[in-house]
Amino acid sequence: MPWNDNANPGPWGSPPPGGDDDRPPVKRPGGPNRGGPRRPEGPEVNAFFDRLARQLRGMFGGEGGRGIRPGAFAAVLLGVFGLWALSGLYMVQPNEEAVVTTFGAYSRSEAPGLRYHLPAPIERAEKVAVTSLNRVDVGGAAGADVPEESLMLTGDENIVDLDFSVTWRIANPSRYLFTLRDPDLSVKAVAESAMREVIGKTALQSILTNGRGQVQIATAELMQRTLDAWGAGITVVEVQIRNANPPQEVVAAFRDVQSAQQDAESAKNEANTYRNRVINEAKGDAARTTQSALAYKEQSVREALGDAARFNQILTEYKRAPGVTRERLYIETMQRVLARSNKVVVDSKGASAPIILPPDAFRPRTTAAAPRGLDPAAPAATASAPPVASQPGPAQ
Amino acid sequence: MSRRFVALSVVAIAFLVVVANTLFIVEQREQAIITRFGEPMRVINPPQSPDPGLHMKTPFLDQVIRLDKRNQSLEADQEEIVAADQERLVVDAFIRYRISNPLQYYRTLRDERGAGPLIERLVNSSLRQVLGSATSADIISGHRGALMQQAKIDVARRAATARFGIEVIDLRIKRADLPAANQPTVYRRMQTDRQQAAAQIRAVGEQQKREIIASADKEVAITLAGATETAEATRGEGDALRTRIFAQSFGRDAGFASFYRSMQAYEAALGQGDTTMVLSPDSAFFKYFERGPGAK
Repeated sequence: MPWNDNANPGPWGSPPPGGDDDRPPVKRPGGPNRGGPRRPEGPEVNAFFDRLARQLRGMFGGEGGRGIRPGAFAAVLLGVFGLWALSGLYMVQPNEEAVVTTFGAYSRSEAPGLRYHLPAPIERAEKVAVTSLNRVDVGGAAGADVPEESLMLTGDENIVDLDFSVTWRIANPSRYLFTLRDPDLSVKAVAESAMREVIGKTALQSILTNGRGQVQIATAELMQRTLDAWGAGITVVEVQIRNANPPQEVVAAFRDVQSAQQDAESAKNEANTYRNRVINEAKGDAARTTQSALAYKEQSVREALGDAARFNQILTEYKRAPGVTRERLYIETMQRVLARSNKVVVDSKGASAPIILPPDAFRPRTTAAAPRGLDPAAPAATASAPPVASQPGPAQ
Repeated sequence: MSRRFVALSVVAIAFLVVVANTLFIVEQREQAIITRFGEPMRVINPPQSPDPGLHMKTPFLDQVIRLDKRNQSLEADQEEIVAADQERLVVDAFIRYRISNPLQYYRTLRDERGAGPLIERLVNSSLRQVLGSATSADIISGHRGALMQQAKIDVARRAATARFGIEVIDLRIKRADLPAANQPTVYRRMQTDRQQAAAQIRAVGEQQKREIIASADKEVAITLAGATETAEATRGEGDALRTRIFAQSFGRDAGFASFYRSMQAYEAALGQGDTTMVLSPDSAFFKYFERGPGAK
């Protein structure tokens, strides 16, 4: 109130220096001992009173003197009245709406800007932040968990540890002010109650995984319905689940399920790796088998054709001179065969005893691979005993 | 002059005192009862006939008793309730009500301090009765809404009977939880349930792994067998062609073919240098060797 305001000196003028209270000193309770330690005492106090009394007397014309000066009195009254009237000016901020009551009864709402209401006892203005969003955290704010708020029973009788926030704003200022006694607390109570009702109908898995959005929406709707039924003048903007976990005690088991899923996946991956490797290898092997078979076929056919062609050529010539050719072929072949072999020529005719051959005769001619004519120093058997191994075919 | 001033002041002050005692404000959010010597005379601004604002009363004789008109909440103490299926639940509820009949309210409950415990007791006994006849599953999930409605009606009925002068706007169960002593059991069940799920998932994974490996092995065997089949058929074709070619060719002179082929075979089989031959000089090769140039 302006007449209590130091910055706005009243009709009694500025407070005297040294006084820190502009109320009439007679009203100050208590004696000098009640005052602050810095307060002047004794004669100084008396001097102060004297000065004030003199000033007052000057204003109103003195006690036993010339009487009240009507002009001054009227001016003072007018000043007081003017200040009182001006006290009805107020600012409504852009995010606010003001609700004006006349003698306590709702009369009007005012939009942002500089506004006026009839001064204090007649009209009052209450400013309400309508566009600002308010937020309630249930289940404890970040870092400070409140288990009795956050632990909830789910539809399948499991327990979930769930923190959420509700964002709301004032939709109807007069209802907000006059209908509920404790709107802010009510929002929280309704939020808790609604969330628990919704969670109580939802299975734990769904809450933990993909059902969150549904829970949020259902809770917001239920809250809005309840608040509307109360006529609270509040709009629920959003319900947001900040955290939904299994309770501490069973978190490990839940994590294990996740790692089990990973394990199962990796087992499958291993198997697929094996499969890819083995099958492709088998395809390669199969190709090798079929290709080599094709090669074999081609090879044998070609060779056969070649051999057949060769034979045909020779046959043609052979037909011209069969005897000679036969003889020649035989001898040439024998030459080639015998040239590379160890040979023992034994004349068994007239031999009465078995011929013993030295073991050297049976050694392969590895050291003398190159044929040196027909004589590889093969010892002509001189012994005249028929060898055990020899079947000196009596070819004739 | 000063006498007049003093007299005027006295009159003015007296007037102000009387006016201040006659006029009074009833705010939008409250309702008032006017009592004279403690006896309620009339009600101002009750919910049925809203009339907030400036009002008058007989000064000094009449007294104004103000009561809240708004919708207010009362939280009942947490209570353990035995449901119909003998399961215990800790229930936390709150009621929202409004003083609808200030006179009744004032006569029965006097003020909020008197009203609180009475209303709370009423809420508790209502909840006990309504929830006691429902199963815990209904309370937790199935029919919470209906049960709350039922409890609300029950409270309203009892409040009306007890002449509380309140209107029950809503009754909501905030929490319906298992007692703390039961939580470990629930946790154990959840734990074993999850362990079972984990084992199942792992087993299915292992099963799939084995299935994949087995089918891969099968495919490998089939692929290889198919290849062998084709390969053998191909080789057979080759052999058949070879046989036909030789048969055609050699068939033109079987005797010479036999001779010629034997020669080739001798050379291939014996001409490698690892054979020791014991020969008789009277073989055909040695015809001249033995009998000289005149041999026949």
